[in-house]
Amino acid sequence: MLTIYKREMGAYFRSPVAYCIIGFFMAIVGLMFWINSILQASAQFSTTLSSIGMYLTFIIPIMTMRLLSDEKKNGTEVLLRTCPVPMWKIVLGKYLSSVTLFLIMTVLTGIYPVLIAFLVEEGAVVGSAQDFGSYVGFFMLGMAYIAVSLFVSSFTESQSVAAVSGIVVLLILYFLQSIGASLGTTLGAVLQWIAPLTRYQDFTVGAFNIASLIFYFTFSAMFVFLTYVNLERKRVI
Amino acid sequence: MIEIKNLTKRYGQIHAVNDISLTIKKGEILGFLGPNGAGKSTTMNILTGYLSPTSGTVTIDGFDIMDSPREAKKLIGYLPELPPLYQDMTVSEYLKFISELKSVPLKQRKRQLDEILYLVKLGDMQDRLIKNLSKGYKQRVGVAQALVGNPQVLVLDEPTVGLDPKQIIEIRKLIGALRHEHTIILSTHILQEVNAVCSSVAVINKGKLAAAGSVSDFTASEGTVNKFVISIVGAPSRTEAQNALKETDGVRRVDFVRVDKDAYIFNVESERKSDVRRSVFNAVSRNNMAIIELRPVGRTLEEIFIDIVSNEQNSEQE
Repeated sequence: MLTIYKREMGAYFRSPVAYCIIGFFMAIVGLMFWINSILQASAQFSTTLSSIGMYLTFIIPIMTMRLLSDEKKNGTEVLLRTCPVPMWKIVLGKYLSSVTLFLIMTVLTGIYPVLIAFLVEEGAVVGSAQDFGSYVGFFMLGMAYIAVSLFVSSFTESQSVAAVSGIVVLLILYFLQSIGASLGTTLGAVLQWIAPLTRYQDFTVGAFNIASLIFYFTFSAMFVFLTYVNLERKRVI
Repeated sequence: MIEIKNLTKRYGQIHAVNDISLTIKKGEILGFLGPNGAGKSTTMNILTGYLSPTSGTVTIDGFDIMDSPREAKKLIGYLPELPPLYQDMTVSEYLKFISELKSVPLKQRKRQLDEILYLVKLGDMQDRLIKNLSKGYKQRVGVAQALVGNPQVLVLDEPTVGLDPKQIIEIRKLIGALRHEHTIILSTHILQEVNAVCSSVAVINKGKLAAAGSVSDFTASEGTVNKFVISIVGAPSRTEAQNALKETDGVRRVDFVRVDKDAYIFNVESERKSDVRRSVFNAVSRNNMAIIELRPVGRTLEEIFIDIVSNEQNSEQE
């Protein structure tokens, strides 16, 4: 598993992929920081983070699109399937490499709260529970999105199809909460319960809920597992 | 070493592989022969655990590829049709990655990789990015990859396809060098390749095993050579040359082929048991003519192969 993980991390940083993604992401964060914190003169970074949530639906499928389809294209899928490493380890290694890249991105945004700390007047509250909670929630949300888009990409051999369908599915997930809310029925409640964004909003208001953490872990684990199942199924066909 | 039993792979109604059974002994080099689309690659893909069979079993040294994949896969090095290379890695990075993947013990890694690089003559290229290598070198990296972990079984899917003649000879030499320590299965649709490197042959056609045996069985089953091409010079006319051949004892049939400058060329067929070359020579020189070429024509593997494949097709049409 570590072998695959190292190889994927290498692949991210050997090519311009990781740098492009990080650069694009940081540009958006900078813009949102300008709009939400500077213009509004707010010391709350959590509002910035939650407005980035929407952009994750675009960025994450681009991070995961090549993890599986590149193996098809290079013919290295054969290698992975015929080596004495079980498939679940390979999937997990790939998943964790994306999660690590996302962790790096998340940590990089940390410069903004630090910046705020320097900018605010003396005596103002910096580094609130909201900010900390938001960070945890943000990372959890990313983990869930990565798992979903990895699963979506396991259906196709093409990078672009993987990216586009990943974006579509994540957008649906993103709007699931508002769809659920507007329905108002039992179905609506169920949709709201499933929607990863619902839990995230708890975090942004500083509610640190263990149940939500468990929800995110289970949600991610389920989609990683489904990716594995889907890839094993392809061996039979 | 390798035991294939009633192997079948079905895609819907199509039988890509249809009830193949085959045993490959330790140290054997089996040539897997068949026209394009016969099911060679599918069989190899099942053999190595890439695909799962619809029915039937494959065991490698007693380990079933489906039931104990880890143990079985450790014994196999596989070079698929398209070498499985990561274009963004250098040769040595890639091979290190493979040895980790195949969990080669840390202590042996360095030495083993050096040996392999030496064997496939990639020493000078080890720091190059794979995407910058020529096709022949990429193929060698593919072979190197299969050798990592020193597996007992090597499965090579068309190892020489797309290479230039010099590279083909080098790869064949390499396979020849590997024969002492490995059991090798290689697929090809080039018949000389089988003649050049293999000890036994399995012909597969339309997913079915059409014939199997050792290379010498195949070519020798046709009996002693009894066909020759003979060129004669110094004959006053074609008929006289032909008569001189016809009157020799043991010659059954003489067919005129063509005139090449002043030489008459004939196809001569003799009785199966006797070797008529000496008496043919004597008969011709008695008539003041000379033989400038006498060449036995054995049935090549190629002819045998075409026979097998076309026979199958005929019997299906009937």
